[in-house]
Amino acid sequence: MKQYIKKSAYDCTQLDDDWIILDTDNFTVTKVNEVGGYCWTLLESKQTAETIRQAVQEEYSSVEDITTEDIEQFLDELLQYGLLTHEV
Amino acid sequence: MNKTCVLIAEHYTHLKWESNWIGEFIDKYFLHATISSVRFDMKISIDDNYGKPFKDYEVDITKSSKYITFRRTDYLIKATSDYKEVTIYVHDELALKHALMNVYSSYIVYHNWGLLLHSSCVLDNKKAHIFTGHSGAGKSTVAKLSSPRMLLSDEASIVKITNEGIKVFNSPFRSELEASGKELPACLASIQLLHQATNNSREVMTKSDAYLELVNKIFYWSHSKEETKQVLNLLKVLVEQVPVYDLHFQKNNLFWELIS
Repeated sequence: MKQYIKKSAYDCTQLDDDWIILDTDNFTVTKVNEVGGYCWTLLESKQTAETIRQAVQEEYSSVEDITTEDIEQFLDELLQYGLLTHEV
Repeated sequence: MNKTCVLIAEHYTHLKWESNWIGEFIDKYFLHATISSVRFDMKISIDDNYGKPFKDYEVDITKSSKYITFRRTDYLIKATSDYKEVTIYVHDELALKHALMNVYSSYIVYHNWGLLLHSSCVLDNKKAHIFTGHSGAGKSTVAKLSSPRMLLSDEASIVKITNEGIKVFNSPFRSELEASGKELPACLASIQLLHQATNNSREVMTKSDAYLELVNKIFYWSHSKEETKQVLNLLKVLVEQVPVYDLHFQKNNLFWELIS
C-alpha cells in the first residue's frame, strides 16, 4: 500500500474549525476541514490511507462510514498540491 | 536636489529628488509633514531616466547581505535590508507610484506593522469599511458611489494590524480619487468582497474562506520564507478581528443600508 508523508515542515494555522496549510515555498494556502486537519497532523510520520482511516474513525465518531478510498482521494489531492510525497 | 518630509500613515519619510515632475507627483499625493527635527522612519531618494515603459508586473528580486533590489522594466529599487534607506530609479509616473507601493509594502511587512491591501476604503460614521474583489469587481465604482463619504483609499488600503485592533490610514497610493487631506485614520469595521448583482445582499464569510480570498489581494513581493510567514500571520490576525462579507451590490448607493 502507498505510504504518504509531508513534503516539508509546513506551517498550519487554525481558523474556527478549519485548518489552513501554508506552503511558503510556493506561496500557496490550502484549506482543509477539521477532520482533514487531523489527518494532516498524522502525516508528520509515514502513513497509508488505511492507517489514517483507522485513526480518524477512532477520533471522530461522526465519520464512522469513511472509507480508505475517501482518504486516498484526499491524500492524492494534497499530493497534487505538492504538499505530500510518497515514501517507499 | 529637492527634499521634503511626508507622512505615510505613521511613518515619517524623507524624500529627495531632482526632476520637477517628481516634486509635482509628491505634492499631489502625499501629505507634507510639518514636524521639525523628526527622526525619519524611511529615507527615499528618487531619480528618473531609468528603463523602459511599463511592460508587465514581473519583478526580479535579488538580495545581498546588506541590500535588497527589486527590478521591473520601468523601475529599480535598491534598499537596505530594513528598508530604512532606499534609492528608487524610475521611468515615469506609473513606475514611481508602483515603486513607492513596493517599498512601503515591504517596509510595513518587514517591521510587522501591517499590510497594503488591493482595495478601496470608505469612512462611514468614523468607521472604515474596505471593499475588495477581483479586477473589475467594482472597487472604484463602490468608492465613487459612496460619495459624499470620505475615502481612505481607492486602490491600495494601508492597514495597521495589531492584536489590540485594526486601523486604516489615508493612502497616498491612489488611482483616480484624490484625498482631501482631512481623512483621519479609523478602526476597520468590515471588509466586503464585491460581486456585481441585480439585488443587494450581504452574507458573512467563514474566517477560513475570508483568509483564502484576501491572500491574493495583498500587495507583496515575496522573497523570503520568513517574511511570507509574517504576511500570512498578519492576515490571520486581520480576519480573526474583522468580519468579512460577500457583498452583492447594484450600481447605486443602496448597499450602504446593509453596512451602516
